[in-house]
Amino acid sequence: MLWKKMIRDLRENKGAYLATIIIIVIGLMVFTSFSMVMDNLRLSQQSFYKNQNFADGFIEVQAMPPSEIEKLQDIQGINDVQGRLVKDVKVLFPNRDENVYLRLVSVDPAKKNPINGVQLKQGIPLSNKEMNILIDNKFFEANNLKLNEEIEIIADGKKRALRIIGVGRSPEFIYALRTSSDLYPSPESFGIAYIPFEVMKTLFPERETMNNIVFTLRPGADYDNVKERLKPELKPYGLKSIYPRKDQTSHLLLTQELKGLEATARVLPLLFLSIAGMILYIMLKRMVEQQRGQIGILKAFGYTHKEILSHYMSYALTIGILGGIIGGFLGIALSFPFTTLYQTYFNMPGLTSKFSPLYLVLSILLSLGFSLFAGYQGCKGILILQPAEAMRPPAPPIGKKTWLEKITIFWNMLTVQGKMAVRNMSRNKSRSIFIFLGIMFTFSLLGLTWSMNDLSQRMLFDQYEKVETYDVKVSLSNPLNQKKVSRELNHFPGVTRVEAMAEIPVTLKNKWYKKDVVLLGIPEDSTLYNILDKNYNKVDPPKNGLLISERLAKLLGTEVGTKLNVESLMIKDPDKAKQLEVVGVIPQYLGLNAYMDINSLQEFLGQGELATSFMLRMDEESIALLQNEFRKSAAVSGIDDQTERLAQTKELMASFYGMIFILALIGIITGFAIIYNSSVITLSERSHELASMMVLGMTPAEVLSVITFEQWFIGIFAMLAGIPMSQILLIGMSQSISNDVYTMPTNITASSFLIAFFVTAASIWIAQRFAGKKIQKLSLVDVLKSRE
Amino acid sequence: MQPIITAKNLWKTYQMGEVTVVALKDIHLKLYEGELVVILGPSGSGKSTLLNIIGGMDKASNGELYYRDTPLHKADDKQLTFYRRNDVGFVFQFYNLMPNLTAYENVYLSAQISQSPLPVEEMLEKVGLSDRANHFPSQLSGGQQQRVALARALAKNPAILLCDEPTGALDFQASIQVLKLFKDFSETYRKTVAIITHNAAIAQIANRVFYLKDGMLNKVERNENPLPPERVSW
Repeated sequence: MLWKKMIRDLRENKGAYLATIIIIVIGLMVFTSFSMVMDNLRLSQQSFYKNQNFADGFIEVQAMPPSEIEKLQDIQGINDVQGRLVKDVKVLFPNRDENVYLRLVSVDPAKKNPINGVQLKQGIPLSNKEMNILIDNKFFEANNLKLNEEIEIIADGKKRALRIIGVGRSPEFIYALRTSSDLYPSPESFGIAYIPFEVMKTLFPERETMNNIVFTLRPGADYDNVKERLKPELKPYGLKSIYPRKDQTSHLLLTQELKGLEATARVLPLLFLSIAGMILYIMLKRMVEQQRGQIGILKAFGYTHKEILSHYMSYALTIGILGGIIGGFLGIALSFPFTTLYQTYFNMPGLTSKFSPLYLVLSILLSLGFSLFAGYQGCKGILILQPAEAMRPPAPPIGKKTWLEKITIFWNMLTVQGKMAVRNMSRNKSRSIFIFLGIMFTFSLLGLTWSMNDLSQRMLFDQYEKVETYDVKVSLSNPLNQKKVSRELNHFPGVTRVEAMAEIPVTLKNKWYKKDVVLLGIPEDSTLYNILDKNYNKVDPPKNGLLISERLAKLLGTEVGTKLNVESLMIKDPDKAKQLEVVGVIPQYLGLNAYMDINSLQEFLGQGELATSFMLRMDEESIALLQNEFRKSAAVSGIDDQTERLAQTKELMASFYGMIFILALIGIITGFAIIYNSSVITLSERSHELASMMVLGMTPAEVLSVITFEQWFIGIFAMLAGIPMSQILLIGMSQSISNDVYTMPTNITASSFLIAFFVTAASIWIAQRFAGKKIQKLSLVDVLKSRE
Repeated sequence: MQPIITAKNLWKTYQMGEVTVVALKDIHLKLYEGELVVILGPSGSGKSTLLNIIGGMDKASNGELYYRDTPLHKADDKQLTFYRRNDVGFVFQFYNLMPNLTAYENVYLSAQISQSPLPVEEMLEKVGLSDRANHFPSQLSGGQQQRVALARALAKNPAILLCDEPTGALDFQASIQVLKLFKDFSETYRKTVAIITHNAAIAQIANRVFYLKDGMLNKVERNENPLPPERVSW
């Protein structure tokens, strides 16, 4: 019988309970879908790494003969070692103007269980006899290639045709980026090709040497020790860099993504379940107060505490189960499109989602846990009621003056309705705090969302439109003399300005901190690469020291004036310790660099006037001509067209808007649910007062204004408090997602606050209109006949 | 003399599941300016229903109802709100004051929405509560709360004051005090006061008494010499 009572009670307040369920559902959807995607990614990553024998360490050298590489096998701690030739080449697709690159990675078809083995998806294995390659599946699909089709590349200045005999992927390129300044993989314009070493060596002048080594460690071996043992062996062959798996780009970005997913899957659901729990608590507490007469009668009949308590707890139980089941199922359903979305970025086998009973059960348990806890807190007042006492009405609410009344100017400004509202706020402090927190949450979530939108735009567009303002960047395969190349490029038709750049990989050390970064040498009077400070003022690259990015300064624990030890394989005498002083710190959102005047840098390195790339200002029409001209040159490794890059970025940003939209929607729904529920509770609690006002002849709108005044009054302060709150959230967000590739700025834009304000206000307003409908339905006669 | 309230052939029926309950049957009545009437009847006789319909809080199922020349039976919610706002004052058994407004503020709340309100201080003085103006309802006795409720109803300067068991929750002394105020109001301001009660003794102060039983108006009595409230006892 009591179940019937419950269902009827729930139905009577369906809007409010529905809103509670929706909040639980949102929280659990995030929990389930994010956790499942995270599990799917992790599982797929682990089995892919294991099956394809993913390397523990990576080495880049100038040139090293395979026989010497094999000897490294004997170094203590090394399990297996494998040499490779790795080169980026340009692809010539007929009828396509943009730059398309392939990274050729040599393999040994005869080797069993190779490191970073290629998993063959289609086609046949490689043979040493012909110009055949395996190509990565993303590139294959994005460019509509077919098996046995030949593609033309430029290797060492010569056109060559390579036959695609298979499609495959390797754990090394799960997240394939061409340069470290790229943010997303771009499979149309960059792919990986696996080619037998015996074939590849015929394409390049190096012949019998390799430039890249991967190795695996024996169980228990320490990477750093192995690294120290490797260094002296590699030095004669021009060691460029040596880094562990954790610094490998693809692995690093995948790990970051997993970390982000984990954080979201833990924090957001907790937040939502807490909000739902709070609403449930308030609603049940209110109901128990309202129904104390009924409770008294039940107790008088001889119902036990337990029976009555479990009756009221059944409301929480029902909501918990419903929320858990719906949230769990929807979350599992959502994990499918989510996983598919991740497939487009992360190239791994077995990355699919499947129904997970575990997460369904977890969702229900989580939802039940929160609901029952909140429910018990709301209902426990039943236990102390004595039957006779329960049947008596509760003590009437006490009117009291508030401290705000002492501010006479403010108090006299208020209408009587306003005064009522202000006194109500202090009468029901916990409710007011709840509304305050709810609106603050909504506002800060919206502020954060829009700021992230603004900021990510700034992150990208500032870099391309304000910092790197060149039209074309020509990257060299090997450092060349600055003057000679400049002269040549200057004579090219359409080129109006040429500036050299030196990109030098260095290790910066301060005390026990150290970081591998690229030190950029920029001409003193550069107009094509602008180093900007916080206020967008141009800063000249220093002659007597380093400018470093804020994040780098933090990572190295430095400030202006600190002397950093600089190590680089490109310093003439690499063994001599050299120092540079930090002379300035600047914000940098994309990449992680140190800056210096190019001439001073060249002097510091002592290798002459070397440059690694050139920035050009030139006519748009001549760009294609330039690309054609240098496409075949072995000295040029890449020609980047800035407008092309900007367009690609804009396209990729579009996918970001979906996420922004979802977050904003969550904020709006939460704000709505909180305001609607608190309005409904207030209405039922104060039906007497409100009906009395209607009898006095106030219109429903005037009556509603008493409640809305209260909410707006709290709302204004809550939104003000939301400003620092969004800032804190943004800083937290920035810290969790910033990495060596990009740094998220932490200044919230004024326009985000404006949007957050309007959207929050709109969701409050709409919720109030919905609640207002209930006022019109108040039966004056019934309400006033009963004693409060 | 033109009546202030005219009811013709007024019916009120409720549908309770499959049973139709008739609350009012064919009521005809007229109320005039300046008179104090008592509607007497046992509980369940339909007196509150009648009062609620006259006060624009409820609508008749059938029949006609006029406030002066305005047909209230044709009025929509908005017009009824307007009618309650400007022309009617209510006093209830359980006061229905706003708990978090002081006595003064309660009266002011009502006065501020009326087109021709009476001064709030004067109303409080009239009910003898000037010195309690800054007290909250929880700091006042039942009789005092009811007097605040009366001041609140009067401050709107309504043409008609409707009182539903106004002394039902009060002790004898407090009741007499409140009844004196009703009488005083109808005489000094020439307003119509209608009091609903099941207490027959109160009928002695009325100009006319309506007897209601089972939803029907049985009898109307004119009282040529109404007693002053202080001489009533029960």
